[in-house]
Amino acid sequence: MATDAQALKGHLDVLLLATMADGPRHGYAIREALRDGSGGRFDLPTGTVYPALHRLERAGLLAGSWSTVDGRRRRTYRLTDEGRRKLAGERANWRGFARAVTALLEGDPWPATP
Amino acid sequence: MAGHALIAAYVSDLARRLPADTVAELADGLEETFEHYRRLGTSPAAAAAAAVAEFGRPEQVASEFTRQSPGRRAALALLATGPLFAVLWGTSLASAQAWTWQIPIGVALAFGAALVGVAAVLVAVVLSRSYARTRLAGPACGILVLLDAAMLATVALVAPVLTWPMAMAIPASCARIVLSVRSVPRILAG
Repeated sequence: MATDAQALKGHLDVLLLATMADGPRHGYAIREALRDGSGGRFDLPTGTVYPALHRLERAGLLAGSWSTVDGRRRRTYRLTDEGRRKLAGERANWRGFARAVTALLEGDPWPATP
Repeated sequence: MAGHALIAAYVSDLARRLPADTVAELADGLEETFEHYRRLGTSPAAAAAAAVAEFGRPEQVASEFTRQSPGRRAALALLATGPLFAVLWGTSLASAQAWTWQIPIGVALAFGAALVGVAAVLVAVVLSRSYARTRLAGPACGILVLLDAAMLATVALVAPVLTWPMAMAIPASCARIVLSVRSVPRILAG
């Protein structure tokens, strides 16, 4: 969905990081996790996923390593400590943001602070 | 041996556009996608076509890598901060009346020409759609480091007094030298 792709833009990095929260994955598995984890809604062209992984690795949020599988070279990514911190921070931000948007769109009263 | 002629052709197209390691990584992803479709019972030809379609056209994949390459990002950062350096050093040189300094005109012209050359290369990197060309940002960064160092040395040796614009321009150039030196290996390896 084009509007989803547009809305996804600013969140792609953190969603990619989230797919590695439970352990290392390679590019294809990351793309699959993104698609399956969103119920098929975030079905990105693979050409977008790999360059983003390389950029996140250069930023120190991911660490990549090579292995050989079925005679092919495979690059697998895992979260670095910095990547984990970034993911935790973005999760907290998102919760706050989503709560505020939901309160406004749904007309729910803002939860009273004790 | 899994795979399909369509995938092999796609991979060799990518190999003309991107570094070998990146192509190996993408080739693995293509094979995985191909095998995924095969497991669903798709024919080899249809599975290969679906895998290639999922990846997007080779030029699109390559242009996305080019857009996010370390060379292009460094070039963008240097171009974006360039005007600030122009203002800082422009006011520094004016405040110190640099036209009265004992500097051979040839040297000053060579400095200016090198600076314009670096800027032109950086603009070319930002506009380029070729991944290989983004590596030109590496030598451009290197020359910029030399130019910054030459400016600092000139000020240290020739400037009669330290003016307040220099007190801002000098640390700015020192910071740019450190950041550029750190980014060169990343650009050339990228």
